Parts: sequence; C-alpha cells; structure tokens
Amino acid sequence: MDRDGFPRVARLKDGSSVEISLASAADGPALLDFYRSLSDEDRLVLKDDVTTPGWLARFLAKLASGAATSLVARADGRICGEVTLHRNLHGWSRHVGEIRLSVAADRRGKGLGYSLAAGVVKLAIDLGIEKMVAYLVESQIAARKTFERLGFRKEAELARQVTDLRGAKRDLYVYANDVSHIWAAMEALVGDYSPHEGG
Amino acid sequence: MASDRVGSPPASPAADHRGRVWEPSQGSHHNRTEIRVGGLGGQGIILCGSIIGKAAAIYSGRHAALIQAFGPEARGSACSAQVIVADEAIGYPYVRHPDILVLLSQDAFVQFSPQLKPDGLVLYENELVQLGGKLPATARSLGIPATRFAEELGRRLVLNIVMAGFFTGATNLLSIDAVEKAVIDSVPKGTESLNLKALMKGYEYGRGLVTPI
Repeated sequence: MDRDGFPRVARLKDGSSVEISLASAADGPALLDFYRSLSDEDRLVLKDDVTTPGWLARFLAKLASGAATSLVARADGRICGEVTLHRNLHGWSRHVGEIRLSVAADRRGKGLGYSLAAGVVKLAIDLGIEKMVAYLVESQIAARKTFERLGFRKEAELARQVTDLRGAKRDLYVYANDVSHIWAAMEALVGDYSPHEGG
Repeated sequence: MASDRVGSPPASPAADHRGRVWEPSQGSHHNRTEIRVGGLGGQGIILCGSIIGKAAAIYSGRHAALIQAFGPEARGSACSAQVIVADEAIGYPYVRHPDILVLLSQDAFVQFSPQLKPDGLVLYENELVQLGGKLPATARSLGIPATRFAEELGRRLVLNIVMAGFFTGATNLLSIDAVEKAVIDSVPKGTESLNLKALMKGYEYGRGLVTPI
C-alpha cells in the first residue's frame, strides 16, 4: 500500500467488492479495453475519443507529467471504473482540477462512482488543488447526485451545449467544489501570530 | 500510512553524521530535554513545538511545557517556541540552554546557537540556514531541505510538519506513533493526509541520516 492508501478494496451496495488503485502506464491496455466496452451514448459525454491509441499515449504522458492523476477500479480481472483529476500545471487555473468519472454500465447504482470520486477528491486536496470542477450533462442525474454528496454545487449552466446521439440538444452543467477553506485553516494555524498574545 | 513506517518507535540510539550517538537525556537532569524551535512567523514554528509537546505529554505519558514567542506581524517576524520534555513535573518551563535546536531561519541560528549546550544537537533547514562553522566542536548538526520536500508534496505550508518528522527521526526522544497522533490531533480536518505524508517524509529522512553504516 502506498502513502495515499491505495490500492484499497471498496465494498459496493450489492455486496461485491472492487479494488481501487492509482493508475499507471501498465494499466494502459486495460483502460483502452474499458473505454471501448462503453456504449456510444456513454462515450458521447466524454471529452475525448478514448478508444484510440493516440488518446492513450496522451493520457499516459499526462499521468507521467503529473497533469493527470487517475484511479482505476478492478473487478474480475478487468477495469470497471476510472476517475481522473486533470489539472494545468501552469497558468491562471493551476489551482483548479477537473474531475472526469466513468463507470461500467453493470457497476452503476452500487456506489462505485462515489468511491472513485471520493478517492480522487482526497488526492486533489493533498495535491493542493483549491477548486474542483466536473462537467455534467443534465441527463446524468446519478452522477450529479454523486458529486453533490461530495460537496459539489452547480456553478454554471451552458444551455444546449451537448448534442446526444439522436441529435437532441442538452444543457451542460458545471459543478464546482471550492475546498480552499481547508488549507486556509492550515495557513491560519501556521501563522505564528495572535492579535491577543505575544512575547 | 502506518504500514510505511520505518521503525516504530525508534529502536536504537541515533548516530549523528560524525558517527556518534545522540542520547536525548545526555547533559540533562531527570531526563529533561530542552528544545528550542526557531524561525519566522508563517513557518508554523509554534505548531511544530506544540506537536512535539503534545506527543510527549498526551501520547507518551511524559511531562511537557511550551512557551511561545512571536512578533507583532503575522508573517516574517522572529518566532520561537520553547519546549521542555521531562519524566518528572516541570518546575521551570523556560529553555535557557537547549539540548536540541530546531532552526528554520538564519536569524534563529544567530540568536539561539550560542545558547546550545556544548554537546547539543542542531536540526536545521539546510536551504534556509547556513551553519558556517560557528557551532562548538562537540555539538552535532543534521540538515534537511524541508521546504523543498514540502513543496514537492504539494504545500509549502507543511514545512513545519516535515521538520517535526525530522526531529522524530533524528532523535530518540519520541516515538513516531505518538507524533503521528499529535499531528492528527493538531491539524485542520481535511489536511491530515498530506500532513502525515510530510511527517513521514521528514521522519524517514532523519532516520536515513542517523542509521549507522
């Protein structure tokens, strides 16, 4: 087990269990298999075409550089869920991390999405991320509830931003969770200052 | 995580970089160890001293006293903590001649190093403090790039926790279990994980320096 507590076993609501671990380059082929197993509708709400070797190469490069931190869930020898924290290492939004979450259809509704998202939120706080965002389509009701349980709130709404497979336009929501107060408390604690005391 | 610890609690006396052994009770009466943590406001000096004191008094069953001193500004002014750890009740809580100095600024080194006991130990942030050969020949010193380690972990703020871990690893005074509990008890909710990583980073670095070859 590493310092972040991974790999760890997560018990799901149906009594089954999965192993959640930090993703590495060795997970590349299994990740491609996982994403290729998703339905077209599921893949439509992903930002990238995650079925190509080119995507995998870019993703692994981001993992290596620290621009992405990913957790994968495994059961029965295959990946059944994945969550990634994407962040800009430079620039004006370097304090912001974007979370992208995918769960296999046969594992949904069992708490796996929450376990993965909670794990990556904790990693993000440790990495110094002050604000997390997740882009969710209006129809992703379960995912929206998952992120709301983790403290995310709808911060913006982009009307007719997504076109589904049937050509219908859907709204895209920007969910955000500002965790800067957590480290602000630590900053106050190390201030070595009190307006009422001294010596 | 606890499973990653290197020795818990420290089992053998620590040897310094000159190959000698550091015994926390040497030069002290009744196993009384005097510690001065010095640096600048904003480095978490008081918290570092408080964690050492809590680890001793609450989680090791010993006695401890803490005196804190800081300047009028929130950041950048001189700041220090005096910590005494003893096996008996502490009648006089001030540090006059520390057995151990934990230093995070050059000013703190200049101010406090003359007070160090001749066979005392200096633990210092080696990218912020230059010793410059001004210590007594019998004193011992160990440095750590704690600021860089803290930045690599993601938060410069945990510099003081790296130093608390370094203190634990480089001396034989407290067990890492006790210090870990004191850290969890002292830091804000949500920051425990990174603070514990910082603690273990400093601890392992300290243990690595004092492990006999």
